[in-house]
Amino acid sequence: MNVPHRIPLAGLATATLLAACSTATPPAASSAGAQAVTLQFAAQVNGQAFACGQSYGGVGTTRSTITPSDYRFYVSEVQLIDASGRAVPVTLAQDGTWQRDGVALLDFENGSGPCRNGTAAMNSSVRGTVPAGRYTGLRFTVGVPFAANHGDPTTAPSPLNLTAMFWNWQGGYKFIKFDTATTGQPATTAAPHPQGGGNASGFSVHLGSTLCASPSRTQAPQAACGNPNRVTVQFDNFDVSTQTVVADIGRVLAGANVDVNAAGSSPGCMSFPKDADCPPVMGALGLAYDGVPAPGPQRMFSVR
Amino acid sequence: MPRLLRPAVVAALAAAAMALLGAAGESWRWPLPDWVPPPAVPADNPMSADKVLLGRHLFYDKRLSRDGSLACASCHEQARAFTDGKAVSQGVTGESGTRSAMSLANVAYLPVLTWQNPQLTALEVQALIPLFGEHPVEMGLAGREPQLFAMLQADPVYRALFARAFPDEARQGDAALYSLATLTRALASFQRTLLSFGSPYDRYRYGGQPEALSAAARRGEELFFGEKLECYHCHGGFNFTDNLKHARSAFAETGFHNTGLYNVDGRGAYPGSSPGIVEFTGEPRDAGRFRTPTLRNVAVTAPYMHDGSIATLPQVLREHYARAGRAVALGQGVNPLRSELIAGFQISEAEIADVVAFLESLTDEAFLRDPRLADPWPARTPAAR
Repeated sequence: MNVPHRIPLAGLATATLLAACSTATPPAASSAGAQAVTLQFAAQVNGQAFACGQSYGGVGTTRSTITPSDYRFYVSEVQLIDASGRAVPVTLAQDGTWQRDGVALLDFENGSGPCRNGTAAMNSSVRGTVPAGRYTGLRFTVGVPFAANHGDPTTAPSPLNLTAMFWNWQGGYKFIKFDTATTGQPATTAAPHPQGGGNASGFSVHLGSTLCASPSRTQAPQAACGNPNRVTVQFDNFDVSTQTVVADIGRVLAGANVDVNAAGSSPGCMSFPKDADCPPVMGALGLAYDGVPAPGPQRMFSVR
Repeated sequence: MPRLLRPAVVAALAAAAMALLGAAGESWRWPLPDWVPPPAVPADNPMSADKVLLGRHLFYDKRLSRDGSLACASCHEQARAFTDGKAVSQGVTGESGTRSAMSLANVAYLPVLTWQNPQLTALEVQALIPLFGEHPVEMGLAGREPQLFAMLQADPVYRALFARAFPDEARQGDAALYSLATLTRALASFQRTLLSFGSPYDRYRYGGQPEALSAAARRGEELFFGEKLECYHCHGGFNFTDNLKHARSAFAETGFHNTGLYNVDGRGAYPGSSPGIVEFTGEPRDAGRFRTPTLRNVAVTAPYMHDGSIATLPQVLREHYARAGRAVALGQGVNPLRSELIAGFQISEAEIADVVAFLESLTDEAFLRDPRLADPWPARTPAAR
């Protein structure tokens, strides 16, 4: 690349220059020519830090107060973008817990209080290496790649073996799992609907692939799902050494009425077609839904 | 039978016991299919064939109760997937408990062990509850540890089994060898071998035998894993529960849910005898929450629910889950604290039959008869009195 500002790097040992490079994390033990990357995430609800046991006001169209009980999501295809616009894959560290191959689980619940059915351990970063260089942008995907999304979770390695994050072989993993009680749905007070749904102990956002053709729910689809529902996130100006990716679920819920659940549908939006709770949620994630094109890019993630 | 067996008989018994194991080596091999991850085992109680054999003898020994009337196996019968077929069990005093004996199938994979106590996470600790608990009295040994250890010490079969299972403690003397630490470790080790992965469903799903499941069971599988019934959200994973821990999982997953079985105060409470994990957490939202049980072998573990209050699987579907919780049928109104997935559904009798056929395909007949898990005591020995 004959990009002028990269010329001084050419042919020189990188260690000292990396320290001066605004986009480099101080290199940890890494192979020559590679630099360590730690991509920090922060979870928020309408600008406030997410924590189990906290309540948040002003959520959704009814300005509801919500008390979340889960907030986890998978990211994959993490890439840094250099000044020429070239996307360079980040090779994720294989830590046996949060990261496996190119998939990482971000986990902001701590298994306590209303998050009791979660796990105690938490994770708010993605760790890996990239070839040494100067990077000015970031791209990643929310979700699990198709090739890894429909495997057998009972035999998969961590973090793809959590029962909480899995639907079934046909549907694959929940890319995002967010659950919350709300002012209007502090508990499951609605009468049971004879065909299911019609009640909720709150509002859920479970993002995942739908319309996945396979002979049964316990068999993996052979071809891509009709609605992959993976979210591509890109920031053209992102300094991985100083900046944080903010995942604000309040922005996803902004256009939704979290105090009700559409009769006959899953609680909140669980990605399935024909759920009246879904259009504002899927729209905020930058996804087409039920034949309606995406209204614009995703609004869940921003840079701080 | 004489109270104390002659040495020759003892030697023969011990030899027979050891022969059951083959060569007892240092390393333990789980008798598991390749696809199943091995259980996670506490670092201070590694598996050994000798400990398992000792634990098996203890599990089936009625002398582990105050009056010699109850063994662990009395409420955990192998043929019923280690349940007892009763709504609730009676202890040695005749007092009834308030919750139904849980299946011990695949208990090694459970990060939390009982219906209602989220703090009971180790089999080594849990064993103390039925042995020594006083509310309710189960095996009734509270305060009788000296008699228990004296019995073990005096029994030549146990002398051989304990010495082989705990050689380090044996070198420290009888006080270390016959202790709650060794007793509970051996019981836990045996329970970790209660492994059930040989059902028709396993052959269908993992064994490459699509014909192992009937058409009805396959239709039931679709319903089970579907969004109308929502069963699999809580009864998911290879052990059909959202409570799971194993050697390859990075952390334990736990799940406690209120399914709307009761609603005694209109605000979600269950009867005070079994209020749910709120008894331990004190959090009002935890009223009526119980740990999800495995559905493996569920067809042989009737009656159902934490208090055994529903007799059959069709009733569980028809009168409980389809109605968004049985509290509705009881005239208590729908439980406001129930899980968001307990929404009620319309289901035909044919569909119920299909779901039940699927649940029946989770029965592991070999497990229910596996001689390695059966009573090791010869008839009419003191243990079986």
